[in-house]
Amino acid sequence: MLQLNNVEARYGSFKALEQVSMSVAQGELVVLLGANGAGKSTLFNTISGLIKPSAGTITLDGTDVTGLKPSGLVQSGVVQCPEGRKLFPEMSVLKNLMLGAYVHRRDKAAIKKTLEEILALFPILDEKKDQSAGSLSGGQQQMVAIGRAMMGRPKLLLLDEPSLGLAPLVVKQMFETIKGINEQGTTVLLAEQNAFAALKIAHRAYVIENGRLVMEGDKDAMLGNEAIRKAYIGA
Amino acid sequence: MELFFQQVLNGLTLGSIYGLVALGLTLVYGILHVPNFAHGALYMVGAYVSYITMVDFGVNYWVAMLLAAVAVAVLAVLCERLVFNPLRDAPPIHDKIAAIGIMLFLEALVQMQWGAEFRRMPTPYTEILDIAGMTIPAQRVLIIAGAFSLMAVLHLFLKKTMTGSTIVAMAQNREGAFLVGIDANRVAMMTFAISGALAAVGATLFAPINLVYPAMGHLLIMKAFVIIILGGMGSIPGAIVGGLIIGFAEAFGGFYISTDYKDIIAFALLVVILSIKPTGLFSKGVH
Repeated sequence: MLQLNNVEARYGSFKALEQVSMSVAQGELVVLLGANGAGKSTLFNTISGLIKPSAGTITLDGTDVTGLKPSGLVQSGVVQCPEGRKLFPEMSVLKNLMLGAYVHRRDKAAIKKTLEEILALFPILDEKKDQSAGSLSGGQQQMVAIGRAMMGRPKLLLLDEPSLGLAPLVVKQMFETIKGINEQGTTVLLAEQNAFAALKIAHRAYVIENGRLVMEGDKDAMLGNEAIRKAYIGA
Repeated sequence: MELFFQQVLNGLTLGSIYGLVALGLTLVYGILHVPNFAHGALYMVGAYVSYITMVDFGVNYWVAMLLAAVAVAVLAVLCERLVFNPLRDAPPIHDKIAAIGIMLFLEALVQMQWGAEFRRMPTPYTEILDIAGMTIPAQRVLIIAGAFSLMAVLHLFLKKTMTGSTIVAMAQNREGAFLVGIDANRVAMMTFAISGALAAVGATLFAPINLVYPAMGHLLIMKAFVIIILGGMGSIPGAIVGGLIIGFAEAFGGFYISTDYKDIIAFALLVVILSIKPTGLFSKGVH
């Protein structure tokens, strides 16, 4: 579904991504592991079109989408739930979710249906739908962020560190929710530092270090890999 | 007591126009972080379009207002496309210089075309109403009613429609707005168009009790900046309340102190309010 070929991204003269080639197949849940500053968010923002790659190509279902605007990528089905959530803090939860469906704004009936599905997935958001998004707890804000991304009815959902700053119990629920979303048919690319929990729900994983992909493998190979255990699981 | 209410009325008149002009300024600032110094010139062009279409072409007042709103909206969008959009990655000072450049250009253009003399804009509403001992020119009632209805319409547009929400979304979180698929160019053009239309309508409402001349936007834009700084940069309620504060301060200050100091009052208030609340009255944080 998603294919990156030798993608390179720069901040000025600094190469934040170098020769990144990866693929995500239809229906997969792929994890991207990496420490802070390894380039996870840069990679996600490059896929989302917020950063223009300085070299390489990105294709989606065989179509070249390199250099497309963020709005164009959302329209073609790539929706990112960013690190730090990037909600509209003074708007109500409901408004945040509705804006997530901005690209489908003419299809009122479908929006209503997706909204019902998301409120069923996160019942707490139904209770809090008239409160401002900024007044919610971290975990609830993360639900709004994921819900908002899901309102865009993504083919490929990019989740950038959804567990960041959440209580352990909430993190567990979050991963279960992500697994559920994937099982419902949405392809997921998940960036995480929480390697063990992420790998458990994943099909495959990549490891990114200093802007390069240094390792790739399926779930079991990664969980059994000594270097991974040392670096990211701490056991 | 009648004199007091007369001043309330004057304050409302001034305040509603200030609020309308400041709203356009604060919308553009909230989204693009461009302090559009050319906003006063857009206001001036709006007044000229209304004046010319009414006097030279004999168009009805309301049609002239509509034409001015459309013309200035188009002009504002052109400014965004040709000047501010190409500068979006440049240092912020370039936007400011460009905005002043547009202001000077528009003023020179109008002066070249129609001269520098003062003109009086005609209005079909010349009656003087006499309500409870107060003499109220009909045009003032029109200004207050017109400005506040426009603010209400704008409020509904921003709150209730998906298109309006994109403007608010972009002001609250730019990257978040991109990630839900909102097109930055579309929102920027729409915001400039609205801001230009508000300025033109404000000018057409206010000019009949004032004068039309190429520099008519100067003092107004200065005050509009005072208002949005007072109200908190980018805040919509701040622009309206700030406009009313300045309007009332001028009306009462001009009456009870001296009309000579009328225009200084706004700036004195700015100093006082900023020393008490440096972020402005309605700001929710620093951009």
